[in-house]
Amino acid sequence: MKPGSIHPISSLIREANRIFFDMGFSFAEGPLLESERYNFDMLNFPKDHPSRDMQDTFFIKGEQGNVLRTHTSNVQTRYMESQMKKGVPPPYRVVSLGKVFRNESSDMGHESEFFQIEALAIDRDVTMANLKDTLQAFFRGIYGGTSVEVRFRPSFFPFTEPSVEVDMRVSGAHIPEKLRDKWMEMGGAGMVHPNVLKNTGVDPEKYQGFAFGFGIDRLAMLKWGIDDIRLMHSADLRFINQF
Amino acid sequence: MKISRNWLQTFFEKPLPEAQVIADALTFHAFEIESVEGEILDVKVTPNRGHDCLSHRGIARELSAILKMPMKVNYGGAAPLILEPKTDALKITVENSQLCPRFAAAYITGVKVGASPEWLRTALESIGQKSINNVVDATNYVMFNVGQPLHAFDASKLKMKNGKLKIVVRNAKAKEKMIGLDDKEYMLSEFMLVITDGNTGEAVSIAGIKGGKPTGIDEATTAIVLEAANWDGVTIRRTSQALKLRTDASDRFQQVISPELASYGLKAAVDLIVKFAGGEVVGHVDEYPVKQEQRTVTVSLEKINAVLGTKLPESEVADAFTRLGLPYQCNEMTSHCMFTVTPPFERLDLVIPEDLIEEVARIVGYDKIPATELPAFPNKPGINANFYAAEQKRQELVAKGYSEVFTSVFAEKGERMVANKVDGVRPYLRANLTDGLKDALEKNVRNKDLLQLYKVKLFEIGTVWKNKKEIMMVGTAEEGGPVSEEPLEAAVASAYDDLPISKTERYQPFSRYPFIVRDIAMWIPAETKQEDVLEVIRKAAGELLTRSEKFDEFKKGEKTSLAFRLVFQSFEKTLTDEEANAVMEKVYAAVKEKGWEVR
Repeated sequence: MKPGSIHPISSLIREANRIFFDMGFSFAEGPLLESERYNFDMLNFPKDHPSRDMQDTFFIKGEQGNVLRTHTSNVQTRYMESQMKKGVPPPYRVVSLGKVFRNESSDMGHESEFFQIEALAIDRDVTMANLKDTLQAFFRGIYGGTSVEVRFRPSFFPFTEPSVEVDMRVSGAHIPEKLRDKWMEMGGAGMVHPNVLKNTGVDPEKYQGFAFGFGIDRLAMLKWGIDDIRLMHSADLRFINQF
Repeated sequence: MKISRNWLQTFFEKPLPEAQVIADALTFHAFEIESVEGEILDVKVTPNRGHDCLSHRGIARELSAILKMPMKVNYGGAAPLILEPKTDALKITVENSQLCPRFAAAYITGVKVGASPEWLRTALESIGQKSINNVVDATNYVMFNVGQPLHAFDASKLKMKNGKLKIVVRNAKAKEKMIGLDDKEYMLSEFMLVITDGNTGEAVSIAGIKGGKPTGIDEATTAIVLEAANWDGVTIRRTSQALKLRTDASDRFQQVISPELASYGLKAAVDLIVKFAGGEVVGHVDEYPVKQEQRTVTVSLEKINAVLGTKLPESEVADAFTRLGLPYQCNEMTSHCMFTVTPPFERLDLVIPEDLIEEVARIVGYDKIPATELPAFPNKPGINANFYAAEQKRQELVAKGYSEVFTSVFAEKGERMVANKVDGVRPYLRANLTDGLKDALEKNVRNKDLLQLYKVKLFEIGTVWKNKKEIMMVGTAEEGGPVSEEPLEAAVASAYDDLPISKTERYQPFSRYPFIVRDIAMWIPAETKQEDVLEVIRKAAGELLTRSEKFDEFKKGEKTSLAFRLVFQSFEKTLTDEEANAVMEKVYAAVKEKGWEVR
């Protein structure tokens, strides 16, 4: 019998998890319907603050304080809190791959539901230089290519300080032309804000580390030259059976 | 926020580089740039810098640090500005100074309202603002120049009592109404703040957001009360959201700005108004009971390098602080330097050591951060039982011919509902996978010939919300067969299996137009190869032929019967039957020419 195809997102998740597993990261999860506590409060988003506008949030009718998670960063706070409650202090290395939501209308580049990869590394001495190298290793794994460069630009996220935007440039003959030798915006990253560590019970005087979050759909679109993000949820085998 | 290069130039003696160079400098050291059009940059100021960078001066200060160009004037470190002369012709009462930390005002008489000078009109218009008159333009100019929003009241439209004007800042009363300068009537709530005429009790402005129409400036205005206040960010934000009223003033106040800025803004606006509209400053009032505290933030050189993973020398860190206009003291400890920084009043964002680390990193440049491999992790990473189970299931189903789909979690029905979906459709969270799978099956069955599938088989591993719980389900759907789902059972394992990843290199776009299917059957000599027949068909059919597949074959004596299914589709339009027939005629002709007999 002719085998079926797995979804390109699932293939990418499988590949990303393998790359991070080999670097010591465990796969962690969190709920999609999340409390504002884990999605915002513990991540250092002040209440009634303009930083919450950066996220177009879906709220749930009749359930005050519940939202569809706007990022996989809820896993950061949940994971660290549960470890500390179990009496397990850092080092931590976790990766989370799952669905997130933004309340916006869809077009070729935007979808209200998409997938995100988040990684978190906490120890006494995890640095921003480690972040740069980890990202390079990840992109090299996903895209191959003769050279993979990572560049940071200043940014702001309530849960990281310093915060950066991550750009990537890959070279190599097999890289799709749209991607080859060009700086591409990949997503946000930074050093975990001391308040986030404190909120989960981790002592920010002793521990530090990095976190990043990227759209998996975008990673996949760049990898395979997919032109429309809406194909991901189209359930159309004309698309899926190509993978 | 729109920033004009020419406007920025007013802060510097030396000529600024061209707009694109400024854009790149900001991109890699401060803020993302949305666009550059001629001399105008659209700068995306991050929420943490809304305190001090929503103005040309704020951006100029950043550029000064990045490009190492000294500014002509800088407030930081200067002695506090005293507003002189004072007057008792205007009395200010603030009921709750926590919500209004400062209310400064100037009373000016004898002004002549008219058109603004050319340069001011040009400056405002260059950043998309409309010129109104010399008084209003002066207040707007100061806001876009230094970041302090101001408002001018027509003093003659305020009630004078015993030769005195009286302004009271209080919470609005429930259902209190005010007509704004935009001619709209606003119904207020008790948590909102209003500026009122203390002699009448009437609201004359929605604090920090919008002035009132009845006390607005017009051609006949001769006396003004000019307000430069400071408001609680949360109150402004909530009010602005509740009234659906966003203004340039509310955008700034909701980010929280320094109360110290009010006097600089007021002084600048008074100077401009007197210059353009004449008049005489009767005096100032300044209700500022609790002064902003001066703060220090300390970080060690060691910590900066430990967080960034760098080996920056003390001199380079000191240079970054100097360029940013952040006064610091360096205390030599036993082995390293402790930097104690006293941020200027407007830098409300600098609170913890990490804030200073970010300042150093972005000014020194993120390209100076090396890439250093994480050390090996001391613990063995765990195997996630849910992910492991999902991966096993995925592999099992793919092997059985099922393809994986993702359908939307948003549905027509369900137990839980999104309260604020922008597109308004499918507001529920799905309670099953089967509804979505049925739709997907139906859609794909229509494309069966195109997909060259004997039978369409789908599966989805996804979240549903059922019985008040969030559950991961596995659903399958098979053409002509059952559509079913069951919970995904976690599976404990000691290692992940080495499962295949997609080998596909590139996605091929497909036509979204309907396709047409035609079958052709023919007799061919036994020795003729099937591939040669297909080749003849494909050549004759041309590019509209997207699929061609043999579906039947049998022998009779010396001859073989072959039947092919041909699928036609265009990338540009919906094909008509006539067009498909025309292609088939060409195919028939080519087949006949070969001497093969069409059945």
